[in-house]
Amino acid sequence: MGGTRPRYGGTLRVNMQAALLSVDPADTNSTDPVALDEISCLLFDTLVTLDGRGALVPGLASSWRSDSGYQRWSFSLRSNVRLSDGTVLTPQIVAASLRSVNPDWRVAPSDDGVTIEVSSPARRLPMQLALTRNSIVQRDNGRLLGTGAFAVSLWQPGKQLILKEREDYWRGRPFLDEIDVALSRNMRDQMMSLDLGKVDLIELAPGQSQRTTEKRTIVSSRPNQLICLVFQNNTPNEDERKLREALALSTDRRALANVILQGDATPAGSILPNWQSGYAFLFAPAYELRSARELRDEVHFVTPWTLGYDVTDPSARLLAERIALNAQDAGLRLQTSMSSTTDIRLERILISSPDGYIALLDVARQLGLIMPKVPGNSTENLYQAEKELLESRRMIPILHVPANHALAPSVHGWTSQWDGRAGLVDAWLGTGRP
Amino acid sequence: MGNGYNSPSRNMLLIKPTVRRAAFCILLFFMAPHHTFAATTWGAEIEQLAVKIASVTGPGAVSVDLENKSSLANNQRDEVRRQLLTQLASHGLRLVDQEQAAATIHITLSENLTSYLWIAAIHVGNNPAEIEMVALPRPDPTSPQRQTSTITLHKTLLWSQTTPMLDIAVLDGSPPHMIVLEPDRVALYRYQGSGWEQQDAMTISHAHPWPRDVRGRLVIRKDHLFDAYLPGVFCQSGNRTPVTLNCRESDDSWPLGNDLLNLNGFYASARNFFTGVLVPGIGKQSTVSSFYTAAGLPRANYILWLFAGTDSRVHMLDGITDQVMQAADWGDEVASIRTSCGSGWQVLASSRSSNSDSIRAYEFADRVASPITQPADFSGSVVSLWTAMDGVTAFAVSRDDRTEKYEAFRLSVSCIQ
Repeated sequence: MGGTRPRYGGTLRVNMQAALLSVDPADTNSTDPVALDEISCLLFDTLVTLDGRGALVPGLASSWRSDSGYQRWSFSLRSNVRLSDGTVLTPQIVAASLRSVNPDWRVAPSDDGVTIEVSSPARRLPMQLALTRNSIVQRDNGRLLGTGAFAVSLWQPGKQLILKEREDYWRGRPFLDEIDVALSRNMRDQMMSLDLGKVDLIELAPGQSQRTTEKRTIVSSRPNQLICLVFQNNTPNEDERKLREALALSTDRRALANVILQGDATPAGSILPNWQSGYAFLFAPAYELRSARELRDEVHFVTPWTLGYDVTDPSARLLAERIALNAQDAGLRLQTSMSSTTDIRLERILISSPDGYIALLDVARQLGLIMPKVPGNSTENLYQAEKELLESRRMIPILHVPANHALAPSVHGWTSQWDGRAGLVDAWLGTGRP
Repeated sequence: MGNGYNSPSRNMLLIKPTVRRAAFCILLFFMAPHHTFAATTWGAEIEQLAVKIASVTGPGAVSVDLENKSSLANNQRDEVRRQLLTQLASHGLRLVDQEQAAATIHITLSENLTSYLWIAAIHVGNNPAEIEMVALPRPDPTSPQRQTSTITLHKTLLWSQTTPMLDIAVLDGSPPHMIVLEPDRVALYRYQGSGWEQQDAMTISHAHPWPRDVRGRLVIRKDHLFDAYLPGVFCQSGNRTPVTLNCRESDDSWPLGNDLLNLNGFYASARNFFTGVLVPGIGKQSTVSSFYTAAGLPRANYILWLFAGTDSRVHMLDGITDQVMQAADWGDEVASIRTSCGSGWQVLASSRSSNSDSIRAYEFADRVASPITQPADFSGSVVSLWTAMDGVTAFAVSRDDRTEKYEAFRLSVSCIQ
């Protein structure tokens, strides 16, 4: 900040590679969870939110409490909060929003807020409500209304999104007047635009974060995304399990991290990265081609697999192709495919919560896995749950990757979120005028 | 085939033989200096881990290796190891070389976002490793700093807290009291020998949301305890204990000076700056361009006022002219204090640097600013700087970007003459 108070005004120009087709935080079809998360939190709020250290702080809910069994929770809503069309946020709107995303919960409006009942003790429910997918959204015939700092002023799916500040935002008007997001911009064009001063914030392609210049500020998050292989078949037989293990052993993650992603990734053997769980090194990934071949040789018939990936992401294609080559070295039959229905998908999942248990639960949900029940809340219980998920052989962790962004020097006031990403709600432009 | 795709048994036990001789370990235990912090702080967790390990291995010959993947310092790591070996010995585990051991224990001192995590991977015979772990909270980091000069700007930490502070005031009495202005309350503290203890807290009621960069000012009064100025809200305390606080919507002007320098400015209640309208004005001048802060410097026949403008320039008003000073390295926080140094009045100004803020004292002869002290560095952003009502000190609030704590400092200038 440098002794400078924030300036009001100006348009922050942002480039994104994602071809977002929806800004609904509960959209399960988005191929870029980071982009969706970053846009959603500008438009919508959650009942409970997180500070820069990942601790819970009140959001739309001013307070909350639970019964002694942690199965019935009551949330009191902040008063005088308005949706972007000016209507007052009501308990009914909140309840409907939460019900649509969490069909297993019994959510009911109360006099001053909502009550949530769950079938088993949920000590971490407030942390769960801080997930972006639990943002409060009024869905009205395809129109999305939120209580966030910005409102949509122009929306061309996959092309452009312009957000306008809200003077009546309950946390105070943001400093920026507008955020203009150009979507579907490839990384090379983004960098050129930044260098030419045509844009203020871009994503960085792998390896670019290490090529810094004085003209830009690099913001690298912690490795907050998991790249993994996910199998469509839920019930592998013994042969299939051996082949899956052979695939895991044949994948040279170090080469994927260092060559394809040019050092902007960490080989992953676990779902949660070590900075979050503290025990990820216990699942250190192995590259053992000989063991992979031995496993493959124990199977009489090697099922051919197809491997799908996000076709809009050039690095995903390179990763998929290299994994397929590695697999072929082990005698496995794996071919990349641009089809939407494949035996295996290369997925990129956002680690969405600083709470390891909630993060694991959310990864399991995103991948369609069943979260194991664990007896307690300790780190040891979390380790057991993650171990069971890995042993289900439904997915293979490949890499943990950070989100890297570059900002023009005129961008100030962005805040570091719990995972190290830049939060833009407080951003302001040095060239702006009050 | 182990524990899934990435079996822990394949790669995780790359045991580095750092502890070779059991006798040496025991000798180390008796000879090592006794750093008591681990014993007092982490004794329970160390014992807990030892019990868990012993429940897997049972009594007997074991080898132990310890690896530190956490932010613990080497001496802390050594202390944990020393304590753990003692605990293991008390549970009947005898330390031997790896080749002679019935069980090998690989301890990793790790950490996650909130906790230290101590993990034991225990190999008994050819069985897969059994994992035991204990978690314990990580402490918050802290920060200190200081520098000297013949004219010195002193920066004394008064108070630190995680919730935002807008301003602070100290009543030097017996006992001293401190008032902390927060966005939603005013807290009153009393000094009790070893530190400040909260005596009272009063809620600030406000109908409209605060602007994002919410600011405020506390003013100590003679007929009642204090006034608090916030965007669009004015609060007045009572004059007897328990202290009460009455707040109301208000567009009243805020005091910009102190008991010696009387000037008020109107605040833009939905923004973070003053509109530029001044009361009672400076000579013939009743307006200036919008500004963040102001500092008055008494001269022989007039008071020169400096305004840190929202246009990033410093405006100097003397009652007749509005002169702009290009102060490239000044930030938006200025205040003036009366001292026994130099001309008797100095300006404190924040600086614009890339990482963290500093405040420096300046002489202002002939309308040219000359630094007279070294900068006082802050480990983060200066969010508030106001002259105390007595005019001889100033109070600064900063936000430490690392610890995310707000820290309030008293600033004063001293000199050797």
